[in-house]
Amino acid sequence: MANNWHTKEEYLERLWEMKEKGQVSVHDLEEAMASDFDRKFIEELSMEGLVVFTDEERNIALSVDGESQARRIIRAHRIGERLLFDVFGEEFEKGACEFEHTKTVELVDGICTLLGHPRNCPHGTPIPEGDCCLRLAKTTNNAVIPLIEMAIGESTRVAYIESRDDHRMHRLNGLQIRPGVVIRLHQRYPCYVVECEGGNIALDDDIAASIRVWSNQSHYQPRQKHLKTNQNVRNRWREFLRIGHRSG
Amino acid sequence: MMSNQEQSVKKIMIIGVPNTGKSLIFSNLTGKFTEVANSPLTTTQIKIAPLVIGDQQYDVFDTPGLHSFYIHSEEEILVRRALFSEKPDIIIQCIDANRLKQSLGLTSDLLTLDLPLVICLNAIDETARKGMWIDSVALSRLLGVPVIESMALQAKGTNELKTAILRARTGKCVISYGDIIEDGLFQLVSKLPSDIEYRRTIALLMLMNDSHIDLDVAEQLGDAVLADLKSEIVKIKQHFRGNVILAIENPHNRWINHIYERVVKKQKLPPAQAAQTIAGLCRHPIWGLPILFLVIYILYFLVVNVANVISELMSSFIWNPVQKVINDIFPIGFWHDMLIGDYGVLSLGIANALLTVLPILGVFFLLFNTLEEVGYIPNLSVLTKRLLAKFGLSGGAIMPLVLGFGCKTMATLTTKILRSDRERYIAIFLIAFAIPCAPQIGLSMSILGRMGVGAFVIAFSVRAVIGITSGLILNLILKEEEEKFVFIQELPDMKWPSPRLVLRKTYYRLYWFLRESLMVFLYSALALFLLQKFGILEAMKHALRPVIEGFLGLPLAMVDVIILCFARSEAGAGLIINLIQKGQLDYKQCIIAVIITTTFAPCFANIIAMIKEVGGKRAAAMLCTITLSAFSIAGALNWTIGKLL
Repeated sequence: MANNWHTKEEYLERLWEMKEKGQVSVHDLEEAMASDFDRKFIEELSMEGLVVFTDEERNIALSVDGESQARRIIRAHRIGERLLFDVFGEEFEKGACEFEHTKTVELVDGICTLLGHPRNCPHGTPIPEGDCCLRLAKTTNNAVIPLIEMAIGESTRVAYIESRDDHRMHRLNGLQIRPGVVIRLHQRYPCYVVECEGGNIALDDDIAASIRVWSNQSHYQPRQKHLKTNQNVRNRWREFLRIGHRSG
Repeated sequence: MMSNQEQSVKKIMIIGVPNTGKSLIFSNLTGKFTEVANSPLTTTQIKIAPLVIGDQQYDVFDTPGLHSFYIHSEEEILVRRALFSEKPDIIIQCIDANRLKQSLGLTSDLLTLDLPLVICLNAIDETARKGMWIDSVALSRLLGVPVIESMALQAKGTNELKTAILRARTGKCVISYGDIIEDGLFQLVSKLPSDIEYRRTIALLMLMNDSHIDLDVAEQLGDAVLADLKSEIVKIKQHFRGNVILAIENPHNRWINHIYERVVKKQKLPPAQAAQTIAGLCRHPIWGLPILFLVIYILYFLVVNVANVISELMSSFIWNPVQKVINDIFPIGFWHDMLIGDYGVLSLGIANALLTVLPILGVFFLLFNTLEEVGYIPNLSVLTKRLLAKFGLSGGAIMPLVLGFGCKTMATLTTKILRSDRERYIAIFLIAFAIPCAPQIGLSMSILGRMGVGAFVIAFSVRAVIGITSGLILNLILKEEEEKFVFIQELPDMKWPSPRLVLRKTYYRLYWFLRESLMVFLYSALALFLLQKFGILEAMKHALRPVIEGFLGLPLAMVDVIILCFARSEAGAGLIINLIQKGQLDYKQCIIAVIITTTFAPCFANIIAMIKEVGGKRAAAMLCTITLSAFSIAGALNWTIGKLL
């Protein structure tokens, strides 16, 4: 029976992907499922009120209920991919396919928060936002932070690049900025300067923000931009004036 | 077979990622000097020079930087097209040994072409200082091609490179992208005609959705073949659900890591690098500015106290005796006026070029080339980033503008890297109008220095204000475009300048200056002389009197300067120095003279470059705007400074 449910979830997942591509016909669904396609499953999904047919049953779409379920599955799948990809570097598809069937939203949100709320999966498709993303939860320690939140002189490893621009990813990859490499932040103003594999590179703010790195701090404190306590101001100044690099 | 080979000239192409010393290797190999600097974007065009090894003749091609076959900017297309269409017999890949990893991606691309390859590990001496050791023998074994170690800056390793060229071989790099992509590639390759070279590479680039390969394919094979290939690619992408670029990049990255780990040994703790600290200081928001001012002050100090003195000594020791001799032969009359009169061919032509301008440029270039070799200038791009963003210039335009302080023509040509037309117009206009090039800076320092530091500070502050204002105005006028160029700029390491290279560069810059302009100096002096003889000059001065004397507050002799500037701004500057020596220009007039002569017309080469980049009509519109604004600004300055001083 569990297997039956897994298969239905696959259908919901395909339908979500079709919606992303702007496809609506049953025929497209049939092509996407290929040999696994079986009409009885979409009939069942329709009876459960998860999908609706239009245009004399030629077109198919997710209902409101179906969409919220598909959203959960896609989110778990893509978060799972992100985690596996960032940790192992490759071969992420299979593990994520099992993980997506988890019913525990907190587990998915926990990983999402740990990874610093990634917006895209390793393939570059968007990860639907969860409650944790909307709250920008930093209650637990994010293990992955944007490069712009690193301290000057600190070195750490790159976790992933948050970008859907293939061209930009390729450019950064050519400069050896990619998951797994050690990167050091040299300078924040007037623009970001990082060192990676012996090369110094100056970057725009938004590119620097798109580079996500593993946090070194065991108790991560987000940089407080609005609170101007004396200590904070002093620290900012100290950082501003420092030029050298500190061994990471 | 042998005789056939001996007769034909083989092509060697030097390829490499930016700032890896390609031009140095080119110049060491062929003895032909080209513009080199410790900075990316120095070479913007392909250069060719002959080379003979044994009894084989070669043509060596020097190329701009290329990161990988997948294209990121205009000048990279130039290199890739040359590589694909010229079909070189041998490729030399230049690699900065300190940044080996960044180059290995290109190596993997080059190996797929199945062309004989030689790898030249440059700046190998610096690796030891960084606690890095590269096993070049292992690298050669792993890649299957000759690898030589070289120190191009010190011209070491050139003979080894020449023998390696004779041993160049096709290497091995087997990278597989998984079944789906490999099958797809096979399909694409089979659709390409079999007489096409590098079919797999072309197929791979098409699959990666490279921005320019489609154009090349359509041009070579027609739209029908392109459409056919495109539909196949759509099928492959549907079948392969993941990100194709990642699927192609990842095996390359693994290959790079595999090679790197076997070849490079690193010390656990890299030694502290003074160079890093200095580079950090130079681009620091607070420490960077005093350093910039110090650098400018040192330039100013040496130009005023060394160059001006040399120039004066040369006039008194060389020019005065010559003048005396000619005075004795032709006491008065036509020949006297033509040779050493106010518009004499010898006085205004030769002596102006060789005795006034040349020593100043010599000293200035010596200093400027040292700065270039140290690698100081690209670091300025970090300092000026925020300011330029206000002009509507994203990061990509920074390097061309910064390079404008070296040579405006070169800088105008590098604006090719900007993808939005709007940014290109702003950058080209600013380069032509607002940025003084190296000779202009040097000569302005020399002129203003004669009036004191105050004049220098006022004139350069005014120039800074002009630059900033025109940038802001242009940003408001030109319409916004949606595509923005992202700023990812590699910064070179700072290093000790090589005195040999600095001297050589200075020699060549002066040599080029004389070759290009000595005759221009001479002819423009002759032209002025004739204009004066026929009374035309008088008439022009009379007509321009309200503008020059009334509006600009300058002596009428400045008309001569402005005419000379049209020919060559250095000639005009030389004449200004002459006028100062005769006491015809005062403090205020000196500042206005410098402002007007350095802004109102870019040099001829720069105008040609502008026409090439934006077309004749737009270039003409820009030039009119530039001339009008230059005169109005100088006029406004006359009325305001006049009140203040």
